Amino acid sequence: MDLAEQLRNIGIENISSSPSQMYCYCTDASQIRGMPECVVRPRNTEQVSDIVKFANVNGIPLVARGAGTGMAGGAVAVKGGIVLDMSGMDRIISVEVENLQVLVEPGVVHSKLNEVLKPQGFFFPPDPGSSEMCTLGGLIGNNGSGMRSVKYGTTRHYVLDLEVVMADGSIIHTGSKTLKSITGYDLTGLMVGSEGTLGIITKALLKIHPLPKARSVMLASFETAEMAGEAVVRTLASGIVPSACEILDSTTIQALKSYDPQLDLSDAGAILLFEVDGTSGAVREGIETIKEVCSSLSFHTKAAKDTAEAERIWSARRMVGAAISRIDPKRTRVYAGEDIGVPIKEIPLMLSHIHKISEESGIPIMIYGHIGDGNLHTGMAIDLLDSAQMETVNKIADRIHRTAIMLGGTVSAEHGIGAARAEYVRMEKGNALDVMIAIKKALDPKGILNPGKMGV
Amino acid sequence: MVSSDQSPELGSVLKCVRCGTCRSVCPVFEEFGWESKTARGRMLLAQGLIRGELEPDQEMIESLSMCTTCGICEQKCPAGATPPKVVQSARQQLVQKGNATSAQLQMYTRAAETGNPLGETANRKQWIDEESEEQKNSEYVYFVGCLGSYRYPELARKTFRILEQLGVALLEDEKCCGSPIMRTGFDAGEFVSHNLDQIRKSGAHTVITSCAGCYNTLKKDYPDEFNVMHVSEFLAEHLDELDLKRLDLTVTFHDSCHLGRSHGVYDAPRRVIEAICDLKEMKSIKENARCCGGGGGVRTGYPELSMKLSRKRLAEVPDNVDYIVTACHLCRNNLIEGGSEHEVIDLVDLVCLAID
Repeated sequence: MDLAEQLRNIGIENISSSPSQMYCYCTDASQIRGMPECVVRPRNTEQVSDIVKFANVNGIPLVARGAGTGMAGGAVAVKGGIVLDMSGMDRIISVEVENLQVLVEPGVVHSKLNEVLKPQGFFFPPDPGSSEMCTLGGLIGNNGSGMRSVKYGTTRHYVLDLEVVMADGSIIHTGSKTLKSITGYDLTGLMVGSEGTLGIITKALLKIHPLPKARSVMLASFETAEMAGEAVVRTLASGIVPSACEILDSTTIQALKSYDPQLDLSDAGAILLFEVDGTSGAVREGIETIKEVCSSLSFHTKAAKDTAEAERIWSARRMVGAAISRIDPKRTRVYAGEDIGVPIKEIPLMLSHIHKISEESGIPIMIYGHIGDGNLHTGMAIDLLDSAQMETVNKIADRIHRTAIMLGGTVSAEHGIGAARAEYVRMEKGNALDVMIAIKKALDPKGILNPGKMGV
Repeated sequence: MVSSDQSPELGSVLKCVRCGTCRSVCPVFEEFGWESKTARGRMLLAQGLIRGELEPDQEMIESLSMCTTCGICEQKCPAGATPPKVVQSARQQLVQKGNATSAQLQMYTRAAETGNPLGETANRKQWIDEESEEQKNSEYVYFVGCLGSYRYPELARKTFRILEQLGVALLEDEKCCGSPIMRTGFDAGEFVSHNLDQIRKSGAHTVITSCAGCYNTLKKDYPDEFNVMHVSEFLAEHLDELDLKRLDLTVTFHDSCHLGRSHGVYDAPRRVIEAICDLKEMKSIKENARCCGGGGGVRTGYPELSMKLSRKRLAEVPDNVDYIVTACHLCRNNLIEGGSEHEVIDLVDLVCLAID
């Protein structure tokens, strides 16, 4: 009896095991592949619990998946088994503005939550580029963040409580309905970013934030990316905390213009996009200070003329990762070595290392990302039919990862470790990985939850 | 490994970076939630077919056949992928492998036998007014289309009455443009050759059509030997000659995917409407307009799905309008069948109301 049939026998519905459907679930945005035996789209926590119990008794791998927008293979069934497509559990259960919180199911799409919160004057601050499609479950599982993390932090800062189905099928709550609680170990913090290796999130209580009264966007153009990097170090040291601080290098600028030809961006070596939010006075003052700090390094600064232009810039910026594919019709953007983070003062050095790696390998590497928190995204577009190029890309990614670690940085600041970066966890974390492995063994002794990920 | 020379389609398939943006816009995915029903899923299925890693199964056939080819995925795709083209090409492979659905096979057989996918055996020109004096040679010809000829003869009459005043002729022997045949993966070469001969014989430099499907096909799938205009574009160019009276009406306009997103014809129908009455836009318009669910063979193959999509589009109609105006027969029919509370009329119907 096949796996789907066995699940049906215990009352589970919404199952597919057709080869075509499995093929559609065998990957995410990474180059990692793994064919599940079946995919289930559960409707509630009890169903998830029943499936997990079944998988645990029978030692079957179980992989939770949101929208499959991950870039490290986190939601790919590299050891086969069952994929739990959680995107159907997509209810916003309650919005309690008075308590500064919302209760959601994991399949809610990020932008949908903010659409609901906006009329009430609130927002959920983590702001991933994939806002329109990624699910909150995926965002929590990866501790994702995005463009506004320089001021508002990562998803971890906004999770108050999680309902989690543990590997034995038991259901726990990790946190509290209060905004602060120190009772017991911080299991919420442990689950956030654990990529489905410790439990399956079935509900999340999230903290929300009042929308700022004003926002303003400024663009500063530089001759080189290194000069832009230096400007970021100086800006942050000046005491200003922008709500976003993004870098676009020259190739990224081209990709953005190709995606939206109406964008008014100068042909610079690099552009910094700053956003400042708060009261209108604070915003004005913040923008002036940034302008002043950048003036000795940039050759041009300009402010977005209105909210519409600012929104246009941000929506194009959100899509730039994929838009790199537009530059050459025969090339496709691949995600590898694309999410490093370094301490802020190391940014200029990291940038020059990336340029050197690019020159030596002969593959253009474009740079964009959340430079304000030291998180740089690199982008490479290659001919996917040329296996030699793919090999070169993997070598480049390896060098980028090792360089980031050497500078005291991280191989993934927000996209996730998954299978693509699992080999670097030991290198970055040392014997802390042994503690992680011990936790994994304690919570999931049979190793059914997302096996083959995170080095555990 | 299959090279791009062996399969030029593979290049298009590989443009998809699987970012999932299409999940946020595909109207069919919204109804099902399974990955196979997204544009990203369809791109993967096409890849599996090309690489020989997948054999057609029920899921694949359904996924590829359920795409309305509305093109909003292509519009939104940051990577520049072209899923509707890939879907059409994958459908061709399904047909070659003998995996067309019964609805698709039936449609193709009818078209091969009668020259139209509706299977109508009557004279294609039976809609023409007896008093109408058919012009033979003109620089402009009206391509009526199968729906105009057989399903909406009154609309075809109205359209031609206006067009013939402006010097437009008819083809001597028109057949189906080939659209439904090609979109479902069959070879429409014979239809294209036949109509092409007819157009050449007419001496016309411009073909005018009132069907968005014909427009899309004549423009994309025929050799670039003649201009193609939608009737809305032609009427917008001749507004001064139409002597239209102003009507005390407020209407909304539904953008057809094959006219709008496929070819950017957004302003011409709006210019015609605004010359006659007030226009109140729907919730999503122009390049972001939601599909009515009628295209890509979905209306025939999956009527229940088609009606769900139609109802979602109808939910975007603004309050206090007198009519929903479309410039596509298929959209008009689908919005009516979706249970529109408002009368759904063609742009030409509106023009006729404004002509004394």
